Amino acid sequence: MTTTLNRPSASAHSAPKRALIERLNIFTALALGVISAVVVWRLALQFLPQDSEEAIFFNREDKITLLSMIAWFIGFMVGIGALIGPFRWVMGKDLSHDENMFYAGKDLGVKRYFRYTTDHKVVGIQYLVVTVVIFFIGGVLAMLIRTNLGNPEGGWIHPQAYNAIVGTHGIVMIVATIIMVTGPFGNFIMPIMIGARDMAFPRLNALSLWLIVAAAAPILWGLAIGGISTGWTAYNPLASQAPLGQNGYIMFICIFAISTMVAGANITTTVIRMRAKGMTWNRTPIFIYGVVASVALALPAFPVFFLSQIMSAMDRAIGTSFYDAQHGGSGWLYENLFWLMGHPEVYVILIPAVAALMEMAPVFTRNPLFSFNLAVIGIAGISGLSALVWAHHMYMSGWAPLLNIPFMLTTELISIPTGMLFLVLIGTLWRGRLWVTMPMASVFALLWNFMIGGVTGIYLSDIPADAFLHGSMYVTAHFHYTLMGAGLTGAIAALVFWFPKMTGRIFDAKLSWISFWMVQIGFQIAFIGMFLVGLAGQPRRVEGYAETFNTGNMVTTGGAYLIMAGMLVLLYALIHSWMNGEKASMNPWHSKTLEWTVANPIPLENFDVLPTVTTDAYGYGKEIR
Amino acid sequence: MSLNETGAKQTTWWKKKDVKQTALIWVIVTPIIGYVATEVQVRSMGAPASEIMASTINLMRIFTWAAAPVAGLVFAMSATVLLSKSFYGDTPPPEAEIGYRNSPRANALWVAVSALLCLFALVVGMVAVQKDSASLTDATAMEIKVTGQQWVWSYDYTGGSGVRSDVLYLPVNKPVVFHVTSVDVKHSFWIVQMGIKIDANPGYITETAVTPNKIGVFDVRCAELCGLLHAYMQNKVHVVSQADYDAWIKAQSKLEAATA
Amino acid sequence: MSTHTTNHHVEDPDVVGSRNRLGVILILVADIAFALSVLFVYFYLKGQNVNDMWLPKATEDTAAVLPLSSSGAWIVTALAGVGLLSHGSALRAAKAKQNSQLVLGSLVALVLSIGAIAYQLNLIFSVNFVMGMGSYYSCYMLIAWLNVVHLALTVFISLGNWNRARLNLYAKDHWHVAIVNVWWIWMFVSSGLGAFALSFT
Repeated sequence: MTTTLNRPSASAHSAPKRALIERLNIFTALALGVISAVVVWRLALQFLPQDSEEAIFFNREDKITLLSMIAWFIGFMVGIGALIGPFRWVMGKDLSHDENMFYAGKDLGVKRYFRYTTDHKVVGIQYLVVTVVIFFIGGVLAMLIRTNLGNPEGGWIHPQAYNAIVGTHGIVMIVATIIMVTGPFGNFIMPIMIGARDMAFPRLNALSLWLIVAAAAPILWGLAIGGISTGWTAYNPLASQAPLGQNGYIMFICIFAISTMVAGANITTTVIRMRAKGMTWNRTPIFIYGVVASVALALPAFPVFFLSQIMSAMDRAIGTSFYDAQHGGSGWLYENLFWLMGHPEVYVILIPAVAALMEMAPVFTRNPLFSFNLAVIGIAGISGLSALVWAHHMYMSGWAPLLNIPFMLTTELISIPTGMLFLVLIGTLWRGRLWVTMPMASVFALLWNFMIGGVTGIYLSDIPADAFLHGSMYVTAHFHYTLMGAGLTGAIAALVFWFPKMTGRIFDAKLSWISFWMVQIGFQIAFIGMFLVGLAGQPRRVEGYAETFNTGNMVTTGGAYLIMAGMLVLLYALIHSWMNGEKASMNPWHSKTLEWTVANPIPLENFDVLPTVTTDAYGYGKEIR
Repeated sequence: MSLNETGAKQTTWWKKKDVKQTALIWVIVTPIIGYVATEVQVRSMGAPASEIMASTINLMRIFTWAAAPVAGLVFAMSATVLLSKSFYGDTPPPEAEIGYRNSPRANALWVAVSALLCLFALVVGMVAVQKDSASLTDATAMEIKVTGQQWVWSYDYTGGSGVRSDVLYLPVNKPVVFHVTSVDVKHSFWIVQMGIKIDANPGYITETAVTPNKIGVFDVRCAELCGLLHAYMQNKVHVVSQADYDAWIKAQSKLEAATA
Repeated sequence: MSTHTTNHHVEDPDVVGSRNRLGVILILVADIAFALSVLFVYFYLKGQNVNDMWLPKATEDTAAVLPLSSSGAWIVTALAGVGLLSHGSALRAAKAKQNSQLVLGSLVALVLSIGAIAYQLNLIFSVNFVMGMGSYYSCYMLIAWLNVVHLALTVFISLGNWNRARLNLYAKDHWHVAIVNVWWIWMFVSSGLGAFALSFT
């Protein structure tokens, strides 16, 4: 590791510091995290006073768990080297150019993937691996759920464990879908696409990634101590009486919220300030708009969620009463805070995935993007309106019946900008020259799935229909159609599309097609079945159900197994192509965006000379206007 | 479908082959989509046991039929694109002959139509809400206090009888207002076949109202995850004739007097 | 996209400064959302007064719970205000290239932030908070701890700023000082918001 540093030229006083940078990596982080967690746990066991016999709440164990988790978090971040930058700033010893280059992973080879590396391409790959791992965990949990629902009695999973699995599946998948596009592609592709050498704040970029890694531990730890038995929404006061595993959820959300905040500020600044010369807003690719809309939306949304969990932790650990109605708290408070984040969050997931497909559609139809302005208006409209619709999740909670109609209005208004995105996609396909590839097919799959997801969303936004559908499996099927059918489909297409640039190899086309058909067909079977049991009256998050729902659930479970098989094919294809796929040329899709103008493998600072842009990236075909 | 209007120099746009094809597919698939989607959904919802549920089913029918032309159009255009000449292999096809970058007319038409559909959905929804909330203030309604508790429902019959029961009996064709609350965590009171639902919140009382119009046994389920046995927090509602109901109340009061 | 070449130069400090400033402002957007949500919590619970337990009334066994004075919160705000003024003078000095003024201003700001956090912690530990005292006390604690977290960050930032001024690192450019000033403004405003909320019991 030391070979890369130009030791003789370095000034004497910074040499020992540098040695510290060199020694830190994921292993020191894990070690320090575990050690501090264990030490704090032992100390807390020793010194925290016992709950008194007549206490209303018994919260000593919550305190111990939370303190140990915080210790893990701090230990991990110190161990990975996240605090070196700020402390060097305080001490007035800013990082030198050589040190910055070392941080960026210069000449470090494979080792740079296991450290606090600032190069956006390394962070992008790290995000990709983290995303795949999280999806794998969430997928296994999904299969456990579906298997348990194979027969009406539920049966082989204990209800407590079943609830924990449902909650963990929910939150794990939500996080995976939030980062699935803006993480890998927003970090790896976006800076090159706008002609920048790196992100605006490379160290914050590494921070956002390692925060997610640090956050993963509490949730797995939580599974071992009772799990998240409250569903991903973690409604209070149910969460206050849930087992210790709930603390894992709280910690997870708090750390993840910091990560999204950091990433949001970083990506937004990069796009606003660092676009190549000549890349006016009119010439900025639509994918960039999608990424920025997503992360910028998360900036004001996630702190609210963060607060809701801080209060949840306080209720559990020190006995405050924010949500405890007996002592003046309110469950409606939690619901408002949660959905203030929760609804913008679904668009945080959806917008970048749709924007990625908008980026691909022109490439695979050799047609310009239809009505760029409408696409921008659509994305902006969705982002803006999404902040005003949260209470449609609460029509039936009774918190403010008079506000239901205004919220129905804003919710249904969102269908207008959403419709614009449909027009942009279908207009781009119209009279194009179809180049039959898996990303191309994904555009059609998105149109189909998002149509079903969108129309069922209109039923749900209608108050009387929601009075029947709310809290039923219909809702579950609806949001799987939007987040998985539309969102994940877009993300997988993005993976296949940008894979040659990210790894230098072509994604195995045949396997991607096999996986595509298995997943899409399995998906229709699984979730149309789920719509029907929802309409017949099966509630969500149930471990057993009435005999009448048996057929529908069997169908759904069968479809789910087909999805699983397709996803395993995809995972195999990913590993196989990465290791020994066909070497890719610089621009295998003959696309016109900037990321395809850099060589494979991409040099450390992307561009030797910064590009100047003179047209937009959609100049396919003879212009007519 | 007016996407190509401005580019059409030789032929008027509606005479182009792909436009005709799209129109044909659209005309064929729209009724199929509408019919299948409506019937599959409405049949799954089962027979209604109240006016509210009947109108909810009707809403689903209206919305599905309103959405069918839009879905049909996207389907028809996609199908036309898919049926046109496709290219395979590692090299891209030649670029499109004419690159359509925009069509203000198509944009305007699309936005106008979606705004109209949105307005339509809103008006239909508001009318239905108005009808449902009117029943909340019905002075002739009987009142029942519903209490959710992990993991049972209990019902207090106010208005003289003072009966408390964990099975719900309702007289047919008599309006009833439920005052719903919870003693521990949040539950959601859902009478499936009557199409009503309201959350049971600790510390608050919420209201919902319905008039059962069919004699029979229906389902009450909890629709909000409430802990370990959430899945089994369900029981039956018996809708009976007024005479049977009176007899039941009488028997219950006697029972309670005996145990008290 | 057609490209032609421009030569790469080392980035101008003004470009870097404006980029950093935007980044900090965006992070502040998140923090502002957080602080406003805290206010929302306060006023929502106060407005709802569920079970009449915002401030529980006297019962047979327990005395009524009385609201706390908001003057402590206003004092913290005042300290933050003076700190902001002091840092403002440091910023003006940095612009005028008067280093000793800059060091002095940032040192006073640092001392004030340490004083404010000590005072705020003292306030918190002098409150005899027990569980079940109603939601007012919960909200009071939330606002007080939010101040502590903000002040801890302020101490850290001011320490670095003073140290860097002392080491004469702001000789060439002063965008760090300008950004620290943005933080001080927010410190002042956020503690003021908390004090404002606590003035309504």
